[in-house]
Amino acid sequence: MRVLALRVAILAAFLLAWEGAARAANPLLYVPPSAALPALGRLLALESYPDLVPSLLLTLREIVIAYGLAIAAGLGCGAALGLNRVIGRAYAPIVGALYAVPAVVWYPSLMLFFGLDAASKIAFGFLLGFFPITLAVLAGIRQVNPHMLAVARAFGARPLTIFVKVMVPAMMFTLVGGLRTGLALSVIGVIVGEILGSKSGMGSLINHAYGLFRTADYVALVLVTLTLVVGSDAVASLVERRAQRWSE
Amino acid sequence: MSRESVRVRLLQVGSIVLLLGAWEAVARGGWVDSLFVPAPSAVVGAFARIGPSALAGLGDTLLKTAVAYVLSVVFGVAFGIAIGSVRALREVLSPFVVAMYGMPKILVLPWIVLILGFGTAPAIVYGTIHGFFPILVLVIGGVRDVDRTLVTVARAFGASTWQLYWKVLLPAIVPTVLAGMRLGIVFCLLGVLIVEMFAGVRGMGHVMGSLANGFQAPELFAATALVSAASIAIVLALDTLNDRLSHWRG
Repeated sequence: MRVLALRVAILAAFLLAWEGAARAANPLLYVPPSAALPALGRLLALESYPDLVPSLLLTLREIVIAYGLAIAAGLGCGAALGLNRVIGRAYAPIVGALYAVPAVVWYPSLMLFFGLDAASKIAFGFLLGFFPITLAVLAGIRQVNPHMLAVARAFGARPLTIFVKVMVPAMMFTLVGGLRTGLALSVIGVIVGEILGSKSGMGSLINHAYGLFRTADYVALVLVTLTLVVGSDAVASLVERRAQRWSE
Repeated sequence: MSRESVRVRLLQVGSIVLLLGAWEAVARGGWVDSLFVPAPSAVVGAFARIGPSALAGLGDTLLKTAVAYVLSVVFGVAFGIAIGSVRALREVLSPFVVAMYGMPKILVLPWIVLILGFGTAPAIVYGTIHGFFPILVLVIGGVRDVDRTLVTVARAFGASTWQLYWKVLLPAIVPTVLAGMRLGIVFCLLGVLIVEMFAGVRGMGHVMGSLANGFQAPELFAATALVSAASIAIVLALDTLNDRLSHWRG
C-alpha cells in the first residue's frame, strides 16, 4: 500500500516538475502535460489528424503480417537448426553472428528494395522478429531431455508424434518467451521503419507533427502509438500465461 | 578434425559460395533489376569507390558509439546496483524501470532531435538511452540473484556496508555485468545508427541513408557489409575477452 502511494507520488511529482519546467523554459518545445492532454483530446476527436484510424489500422496490419511471417519462418528455421545436428552446427553460428549486427543496418537496403510503402516495414518487422523466435526454438529443442526422446522412440513413436507430444511441451517455456520477444521486436521494427521513412501509418503522422513543430500533437500521437505497443504486449503476456499453465 | 566437422565446414563454405554464385547469376542474367539488387561483383567494386568516405563515417559512428557505450555501462551498472540492492528503491521503481525498458525508444527520438538539434549530441544521448536500459535490467536481476548466504555470512562476520558492496556484491555480479556489456554494445551501435539515419549529418547511418535515397545500390550494399563486419568483429572481440576473464576467475 505504501509502495503504491510512493509510486503515485513519484509519478505526480515528475509530471508536476515537468509542467513547471516546461512552462518556465519553452512550452512549445517541452510540451507541459497540460498542453498534451487537450492535444490528445483533439487527436482522438479526429480533429488534428482525421486519418488517425486508417493510419492506426495500417500500422496494426503491418505488425500482424510481419509477426505472422516471423513466426512461420522462425519456427521452420529453428526446427531445422535444432533437429539436424550437421545443419545446426553449420548454420547456428551464422545466425548468431547475424543477430549480433544492429538490425537497422539492413533497413536502407530494404527500403531501396521494397519501396516506401508497407512492404519495407513488414520486411523490417519480420527481420527483427525472426531472430529471437529462431534462437528460442533452437535453444528449446536443445534443452529437451534426451532420455525422454529415447524412451518415446523405444516405444515406437514416429518423428512427428515425438515432436508434437514430447518436444513441444518440453520446450514450451522457452518457445513462448521467444515468441513474446519476437512480437515486441516486430512491433518496434514496424514503428522504426515508419519513422525512418514512410508515406502512411502512425510513423508518418509522427514525422509530420515533428516536421511541422506541432509538438503537442506529436506527444498525443506517441501516446496513441504506445497503447498499440502496450496492448500487443498485454495480449502476449496473456497467451504466455495460458501456455505455461497448459504445459505444467 | 572429425568427419562431421569437415562436413560442417564444407556446408558453411559451400552454401555461402552457392548463395553468392546464384546471386551473381540472377543479377547478371537480368532476372532482378540491378538497380535494386546489384551483383556481388558490383558490390566489391563499390567498396573501392566509397572506401574513404565510408571509413570516415564508420570511424565517426564508432566514436559516438564508444562514448554512448561507456556512459550506458557506467550508469546502467551504478543504477542497477543501487536499485537492485536497496529493497525500497526496487519495490517503488520497478514498474517505472519495466515501462521505460519496454517502451520503443524510437518514439522519443524526434523529441530528442528537436531539443538537441542535429549532430553528435542526439546520437550520443539516444545511443546511451538505448544501451542503458538492457544493462540496468540485467544488473538489477543479477544483484537480486546474488546468493543470500554470502551476504548473511559477511554481515555475521561484521562486514561494513562498504565492504559488503565492494567485496561481496561486486565480484558476485561480474558475470552479469559482462553479459550486460556484451548486450549493450549492439544496442548502443543500433541507437547511434538510427539517429544518423533519422537526422544525421555525419556518420555511417547518414552515409547509408543518402546512398539509399540516391539509389546507389552497390555502394549501399558495400556500406551495409562494412558496418555488419565491424559490429560482428566488436561482438566477437567482447566474447573472447569474456571467455578470457571467466577463465581467469576460474
